[in-house]
Amino acid sequence: MSGSGKVVVPRQETGGYQIPSLGYRILVAALRLIPAFFLLVALPVAALTFVDSRGIALPISVFAVEGWGFLLLGLGTAQYISKPTRAYGPLMVVTSLLGLLYLFYALTLSPYRFVIPGGSASISAGYSMFLELVMIVPAIGIIVGLLITAEDARAPKERLPFDFPA
Amino acid sequence: MAALTVPTHRRPPAIYRAARALRVVSAIVLVLLILYAGTVAYSAIEVARSSVQSHSLSASFASNGTVEIAGSFTLSNPGLYPIDKVALTALIANGEGVFLGRLAVGPNDIAPSSTGVFPFAIYLPVSVSAAESLLTVDQTLGVNAWGNATYAYLFPLSISLVENRSWGAPFEGFRATVRTPTGGGGTLLVPVLVTFSNHANSPDQGTLAFVIESSGGIVCGSGSFPINDAAGALYDQTENVAVSAGCSLTGGHLLTTYSSGGSTVPLPPEAIP
Repeated sequence: MSGSGKVVVPRQETGGYQIPSLGYRILVAALRLIPAFFLLVALPVAALTFVDSRGIALPISVFAVEGWGFLLLGLGTAQYISKPTRAYGPLMVVTSLLGLLYLFYALTLSPYRFVIPGGSASISAGYSMFLELVMIVPAIGIIVGLLITAEDARAPKERLPFDFPA
Repeated sequence: MAALTVPTHRRPPAIYRAARALRVVSAIVLVLLILYAGTVAYSAIEVARSSVQSHSLSASFASNGTVEIAGSFTLSNPGLYPIDKVALTALIANGEGVFLGRLAVGPNDIAPSSTGVFPFAIYLPVSVSAAESLLTVDQTLGVNAWGNATYAYLFPLSISLVENRSWGAPFEGFRATVRTPTGGGGTLLVPVLVTFSNHANSPDQGTLAFVIESSGGIVCGSGSFPINDAAGALYDQTENVAVSAGCSLTGGHLLTTYSSGGSTVPLPPEAIP
């Protein structure tokens, strides 16, 4: 560690860390819910309702969108709240896995075929390539979750100073 | 000499760094995809608002015994993304389901903030028996069309359309009849009456030539009518044709052809009672 005339660089933390209280984490998680709710539930349901009001058959039921959306929102919120704990990594894996399954489910419904009301024309719109790109996000989430799980198993709490710097 | 202690930042563990880098990548991908999806939705709505428009539809007789229906349609793309490989194919059948003609357009690309113009031409073979009735009988044509395109690089679209279109015959109810001959001696005057209604969108402008054939196939006489019949107008004209008294018309035929713009199409023959 030390010696005459030498500069010693100790391996120590920089000021430690401060984990937010459970109440604060719940509050932040609730705030994060707002944009997530719009993205996962409100916008898709609004789009489906608009299409349904025009008499066009829906590619996916509103109930399914709401069910998957609220499930992912709940898991995402639990994941955020559990960030200081060892459950964070596994919860991220589960959330991302369910997100991936949701996208696979939507992928099986592509292409979306519908008949224009009052006419003899039908339109088919494929979106599988777009969904395959979106799948990158939960796929990375699974990898990240596995890495964090491995990190927490190898050295519990080692990541906390970096996740919650003081 | 006392040791000098310099506090420093500790480097995060390698696994953590990898996880963090991946999360950054994931967040960037997500933001880009959301922006892309939003702009695609906006552009698609703009494209849907600017509906397909058809222009300058015209029908004319072509030199190869067909009716040419030519025109064009435009598709505006006010959006931010291209519409690639726009292609349209249509099959046309007459009222009895007999195939008459095929239309093929594209594939063409429409760049963002531009308008694609697609000229087309359909040739309906009116000199063929299956389509001959198009000249003289109003009917309903079956149009079976389908098209493909790719929007915003990632969204393949296809449309299929089954539609019935009414066809107005340019010589609807065409009748060419031979009236009772008059005169005597070696030459008879035979009144030939031609009637029809022009139910097409364009005028009939040309010459209607006819030949009176005896039952044995001998040409007894011939003549022609100048035609300038506006769309929707009735045509009713009579012409006297000099026929040799020895030419027997009974059981013969009146053969008529319509010539316009260098093309000639035969009209259905009329039997002489």
